[in-house]
Amino acid sequence: MKKSSFLALAFAGMLSVPAIAQNSIEFKEFTLDNGLHVIMHKDNTTPIVVTSVLYHVGSKNEDPERTGFAHFFEHLLFEGSENIGRGEYMKKIQSEGGTLNAYTSNDITYYYETLPSNKLEIALYMESERMLHAKIDQIGVDTQREVVKEEKRQRYDNQPYGTILPETLLRAYSEHPYQWAPIGSLDHLNAASLQEFMDFYKEFYVPNNATLTIAGDIDYKQTEEWVKEYFADIPKGQKEIYRPSIVEPKKTAEIRDVIYDNIQIPAVIQAYNLPPKTDKDSYAMDMLSTYLTGGNSSLMTKELVDKQQKALAVAAIPLDLEDGGIFIMYGIANMGVQAEDLEKEIDVLIRQVQQEGVSEEDFQKLQNIIENDVVSGNSSLDGIAGNLAQSYVFYGNTNQINMELEKYREVTRDDLKRVANKYLTLDGRVVLYYLPKPAESKQ
Amino acid sequence: MKKILIYFMFCMAISAVSMAQVDRSNYPEPGPAPTIELDDPATFTLDNGLKVFVVENHKLPRVTFSLVIDRKPILEKDKAGMTGFVGQMLMAGTTNRTKEELDEEVDFIGATLRAGSTSMYGSSLKKHQEKILTLMSDVMFNPVFPEEELDKLKKQSLTALATSKDNPDAISSRLAAKLDFGADHPYGEIETEASLQNVNVNDIREYYETYFKPNISYLAIVGDITKEEAEKVVKAHFSGWEKGEVSQKDVPIPASPEGRQVALVDRSSSVQSVINITYPVEMSIDNPDYLKARVLNYILGGGSSSRLFMNLREDKGYTYGAYSSIGTDRYVTSFSAEASVRTEVTDSAVNELVSEIAKIKASGVTAHELESAKASLSGSFGRSLESPSTLANFAINIERYGLPKDFYKTYLQRLSALSVEDINAAASKYIHPDNMYITVVGNGAEIKDKLEAIGAVQEYDIWGDPAREMEMVDADMTAEKVISNYLTAIGGQEAVEAIKTAKVVMNAEIQGQKIKMTSYHDEAKSRYAQTVEMLGNVVSTTTLADNKGKISGMGQEKELTDEQFEEVKMNMFVFPEAHYESLMYTLTLDGVKDVDGQDAYKVIVNNPTGATTVNYYSVESGLKIKSENEKTGDINYNDYQERQGIRYPMSMVVKTSMIPMPLNTTVESLELNVEMNDENFK
Repeated sequence: MKKSSFLALAFAGMLSVPAIAQNSIEFKEFTLDNGLHVIMHKDNTTPIVVTSVLYHVGSKNEDPERTGFAHFFEHLLFEGSENIGRGEYMKKIQSEGGTLNAYTSNDITYYYETLPSNKLEIALYMESERMLHAKIDQIGVDTQREVVKEEKRQRYDNQPYGTILPETLLRAYSEHPYQWAPIGSLDHLNAASLQEFMDFYKEFYVPNNATLTIAGDIDYKQTEEWVKEYFADIPKGQKEIYRPSIVEPKKTAEIRDVIYDNIQIPAVIQAYNLPPKTDKDSYAMDMLSTYLTGGNSSLMTKELVDKQQKALAVAAIPLDLEDGGIFIMYGIANMGVQAEDLEKEIDVLIRQVQQEGVSEEDFQKLQNIIENDVVSGNSSLDGIAGNLAQSYVFYGNTNQINMELEKYREVTRDDLKRVANKYLTLDGRVVLYYLPKPAESKQ
Repeated sequence: MKKILIYFMFCMAISAVSMAQVDRSNYPEPGPAPTIELDDPATFTLDNGLKVFVVENHKLPRVTFSLVIDRKPILEKDKAGMTGFVGQMLMAGTTNRTKEELDEEVDFIGATLRAGSTSMYGSSLKKHQEKILTLMSDVMFNPVFPEEELDKLKKQSLTALATSKDNPDAISSRLAAKLDFGADHPYGEIETEASLQNVNVNDIREYYETYFKPNISYLAIVGDITKEEAEKVVKAHFSGWEKGEVSQKDVPIPASPEGRQVALVDRSSSVQSVINITYPVEMSIDNPDYLKARVLNYILGGGSSSRLFMNLREDKGYTYGAYSSIGTDRYVTSFSAEASVRTEVTDSAVNELVSEIAKIKASGVTAHELESAKASLSGSFGRSLESPSTLANFAINIERYGLPKDFYKTYLQRLSALSVEDINAAASKYIHPDNMYITVVGNGAEIKDKLEAIGAVQEYDIWGDPAREMEMVDADMTAEKVISNYLTAIGGQEAVEAIKTAKVVMNAEIQGQKIKMTSYHDEAKSRYAQTVEMLGNVVSTTTLADNKGKISGMGQEKELTDEQFEEVKMNMFVFPEAHYESLMYTLTLDGVKDVDGQDAYKVIVNNPTGATTVNYYSVESGLKIKSENEKTGDINYNDYQERQGIRYPMSMVVKTSMIPMPLNTTVESLELNVEMNDENFK
């Protein structure tokens, strides 16, 4: 919705890694005949309840000639339904004392609302309306197209460095639909007919492509009854759901480019292709990113920001996606430092990790930080709801939420060195320089 | 038929709800409101007076220690800003650990540790509890307050202050604070360069020694810990903390404004006006009207479905957002209604804000508005309870403010019992539409006259002090005379006209990096060039020649549009003023203004394409001391020196939105009437 920024999602996703070993998250789940998977997590500590629906559709499911559809739907589906008037969706939730939001990634679209727990039935009714017969008409399409246009301007075009993700994806993938970002193309949205939007809804917004999660102050039996009452009648989708089977070929040469943006300070971006999200190495790559830039005493922050003062900030972000995401590294140069200069130093440190690996002491620190992050990741109900749904959808196993720490624990020092060499391939990466647009002369 | 009916009933019976045809035409009714059970935290007090609250929560193997020092607000006077340094100075090293060692040890266990002037916060996994307590108490009891860290912090604060000088929101909040509370009040005093410079390490140490006392402190412990264990670890780490008398002064209550007072800060480069309508109000959390005031404010301007937002944004489209607030403070706080609006609608927006404020007092609220406000406020109360630290805060508030023990337990009940009459009574008591400061930061030349229709406008400077009364001593003064006086002051019309070419080399420094700018002015051939070098490399060049302009840099070259060309064209001349007339620029004299303590004539210069520059010329010397331009920024001119019979400013301070801090440039060399080389204009 308004607050959906894919990049923000990517960052947030990294910060709140799912699950714990010590304190396990209990849940119950079942699947309706129409294919809707339902996960319930009961926690009666606070009288609130989070209701969420994850639709397994993201920008990668789009027609290359109709990019931006998945994200556009995240807006369109707040327009109302056959029984909920236009613009009422948000007002109703707010006037019941709740909050709501939604986001779209390359893989999924996620809607959630938090309400006082006595209003769970209202949330279930509203989500079922959205799934059964959302309002998709020309007025809604026209209205939301304007809103998305503003969003694109505000979050991408007008935001310093805002185009990093789209520009990087464009170069990191030559075949796979990950090459376009969820915001997509406004031209495609303008060109689309109403029928195309309706078709998209019928293909992807169906119970057999959705996961409903309810977390909070609930009664399992009552919740299950309500879920059946509101969702069991929703017909199963008739169309085959498009899931790309394209495999991105391995890069054999470096791709290098310069982007001129409305910025003051140059930035260097590097991107390396990652294995699929469910690959074991994803955990090692996540730990590697923490080793490189997580915290004041991390390798790159200490060396490039504090000691050499060549960078104002550096960050390594593994954007792990279902079919294999990218490991994005960016450095913002300090005043007067050339992009080339900063890139050289970043590469020196990457090579250092590749050759020397991580010291025993640093490895210990890394494990401590990861443990703290994993444990803290499930401290809120909306975090738990999201992690439960993603565990089921991506790993096919809801209990994955309780195995995260174990998976990180399996990563060895040797693994870190190995993945640094395997994935941070200096000769098969994307390098972008963001440089200030030549400004009008002053003085 | 009967069969079908029986069949149907049978189905209903076996799977009662799941097969029932659900009524989709209406929203389901909510169930009975959940009872919120708030457990009282365990509590104990150490012999030294430290009060401890323990909220047991074993969901996650984490524990958090949060210390609050309950001191009264203090007046910092000529050291305003000092308390802002205390937290980072505490974290800058101890007698046992350098700053680096401390950072490393905190990171090593994946923990968080921070300090402020009245707080300290440590959080870690349960298994690192002993370590985080060791680090926290080391910071608490053994800080060294290194001099060089204070120097670094001061530098950062001075940079931030310099940036805020030009920031309309910062100007607006300084003005509101000074008007509401007065400059000699803890909430009204503001930090200045002098007051920040004035702070030394001893002040910080003295502050620390005076206020960091257990008998005025509360420690909240939240997480995977029992009361018994908490008692043990707190005793081990905090019982050596010595108590002491802390003498504290009460905070004075300021008077309400008399009538409606319109306060304007003239910021000629503004394209938006920042409006804040405000007055001081007493509203503490133990005030019986506290909840009523919260509901009242929610209806007036607390959210995006409140009256101010609906009127000023949704209906009129004046602004991106309009909100109100009624603060909560033990002594005194303020009411405020704010919006940033387009310059042209400034007075209309003020009128709408004032009329909404007056209306809620005169006509009250509706039952529907009240219900929405209750739902929203109880929803956010419920959500806040998800964080276990909320319970600790509740317990501390009850203790600190002497609230009834069941204050939070009855919160929702009391909220739900409020009637329209209650809210209307609160509106009549706390809303004072006839006694308000109406503060505006914006372009005075465009808005001042219109604001006069609302009330007599008093002008203020960027520090929130009354602008000095400036009068045109010479009633016959005109813009043309100001320009001609200026030309006389720098050497005379004749001398200025004799200058045909100039080469100016200027130096500047940004964060230790040197920048060199070289300008070539060739008035005879109507051309101009400028190169900017950094680390010996040319990073950009600008060239104007043959009525065309281009800018190149970073491997790109760009032609200027006609409009841009007109803007940059003024650079062509060494002294643009000498050409104003022939270029048909229009000049307007807009009175005498205070420019950093100097009286100066303000001249608004418009070029034929509509671009505007504002110049200020010293009344006393006639010299140009400042220029403002929305696109290219502000420049202050200092240190005029004579070169070949002409006076030229050898130092300039440039402020633009393009660079993060003011750029100090000095003239390295100025060569007049030198030969121009065609190479330079390619």
